[in-house]
Amino acid sequence: MLTGQPPGHRHLCWAYDGPTGFMTRAVEFLRAGLAAGERVWFVVSGPAEPVRDELLDTRDFADALLTGAAQVHSLDDAYSSTAVIDPASQVAAYRRATREAVSAGYTGLRVAADATDLVRTPARRDAFARYEQRVNEMMRTEAFRAMCAYDRSQLGEPAIAELACLHPQHNLGQLLFRLYAVPLAQGQAALAGELDPSNHDLFRTALDRAELRPVDDELVLDADGLRFLDHRALIHLNEYARDRQATVVLRAARSGVARLATLLDLPDLRVEVAR
Amino acid sequence: MRSGPAAGRTGYFHEALCYASDEELLAVVVPFLVGGVQANEPTFVALGERTGNLVRAALPADTKVEFLSGGDVYGRPTAAIRMYRQLLADLVADGATQIRIIGEVPPLGLGPTWDWWARYESAINHAYDDWPLWSMCAYDTRTTAAGVLADVAATHPCFARADGRHVPSAAYVAPDTFLRRVRPMPPDPIQTATPLVDLLGPTAAQARAAVHRAGPGSLRADEFDDFVVAVSETVTNGLRHGLSPVRFRLWAGADRLVATVSDSGSGPQDPYAGLLPSVNGSPGGLGLWITHQSCNHVTYHRDVEGFTMRLTGGRPPGI
Repeated sequence: MLTGQPPGHRHLCWAYDGPTGFMTRAVEFLRAGLAAGERVWFVVSGPAEPVRDELLDTRDFADALLTGAAQVHSLDDAYSSTAVIDPASQVAAYRRATREAVSAGYTGLRVAADATDLVRTPARRDAFARYEQRVNEMMRTEAFRAMCAYDRSQLGEPAIAELACLHPQHNLGQLLFRLYAVPLAQGQAALAGELDPSNHDLFRTALDRAELRPVDDELVLDADGLRFLDHRALIHLNEYARDRQATVVLRAARSGVARLATLLDLPDLRVEVAR
Repeated sequence: MRSGPAAGRTGYFHEALCYASDEELLAVVVPFLVGGVQANEPTFVALGERTGNLVRAALPADTKVEFLSGGDVYGRPTAAIRMYRQLLADLVADGATQIRIIGEVPPLGLGPTWDWWARYESAINHAYDDWPLWSMCAYDTRTTAAGVLADVAATHPCFARADGRHVPSAAYVAPDTFLRRVRPMPPDPIQTATPLVDLLGPTAAQARAAVHRAGPGSLRADEFDDFVVAVSETVTNGLRHGLSPVRFRLWAGADRLVATVSDSGSGPQDPYAGLLPSVNGSPGGLGLWITHQSCNHVTYHRDVEGFTMRLTGGRPPGI
């Protein structure tokens, strides 16, 4: 089951189980892209050729593979480094590929990537999480969609949660919150779901990795989808703002958040209640 | 320099004014207030409507006392402490050498929710002791239950008498002792029904979801949101600081939601838990303090099976 934005959002995290889990979901995700006139990429661990051969027998993909509308890449081809990713150069690579697709007459680029091999160590996950948020920002202006898939049996759910929480949509049932870049008119990022002590450490880590940049000394978080947050999260947001000499604004929040913030007297945090 | 019986003291001078007639009330309150104004001390009245009007009518014209809305001040004990501590700090920062306040717990607080007002009356001996405050808490002995008056005697170091005397209370006990006493927690009548929700070892998220599934009933949206906050904080404290198993139960009545959270431990060790934000960062202190400002009644109960907190959102019974 998916948690998050309605189907069709641009950036999906998919935890899969078993050897066929990735391809089953990727085919579904990319088939929708073909129908929408997008160029689609499978990005797979291991060599591309066997996967390509298999897809030639898959409905909707045989012709697309021949025309170039569908392509299969190995991780080595698609990512600037399979050691520790460099977020900026990887985002630039996808931006370039998206613009090439649009130039070639497609409506955009849609990628389904099995990124399991890219996040096996804490250092790799840290870099990749920072990249995930840069991709969210890139999607504000580029016709790019992506599904980042991770093998749960190899990575474990806690490791995947570090990445999934930075996607607008994911399928981790136990993961309660999401933090992701949104169109700037809404703020620097959306904070959605529920924040309590069970995910406080993960939230702190995600906030650090999101590397939000204040605009006019404010960090605006769209809180429209924030169902619950506790005092620990509010206090941490206030400290986060203070450390950056900015004010965190929780926009479109529930009125209870404003009452809690008033009790706590947090000078570097402002709550704007949804009307 | 402080005027009146607290002259030469530092900190809080906390008196009870137990009166049996309006004349007795006024015989103490009018000189108390007029004396405060004459001594140029910030002087406040935080009484309910009836007694407030009596005092207003009895004061000489142009007596510069400030009337606080008693209903707002005394909505919830912890909120009253928060408001008064801020007020006292501001006044002393402005140069006040003594502040005088006459207040009263609203009649509704003298019934089934008296428990948390008794804790308030005890805790403020400590909570207001940072400031040169002289306050009187008025109780009408004609309408106040004997058990409440016994708590009044145990929580006020002194009585103000109609004849002008200030008499120490022989029954007074220090807050550290009073607040550690095991107080009875009579069940809310709706607790006799089978609970809507009965979860063993829930996460805070599961408890919140269960409350949402049960729905707000007659609670306003803001009351319901605050009740969810209280449930979440209390379950979190049980899981983090209590002894398993944590059990969460929820009942819904026509005008209220009642939740209990129990564990096998002995509960918070800080006697001021819930009434003050925390002492030296004691475990769960801030969550308890928020809980006390998110519900319309909170009780603690300890017995051989462990510790139970009961939270009431909406209208507590008898109110």
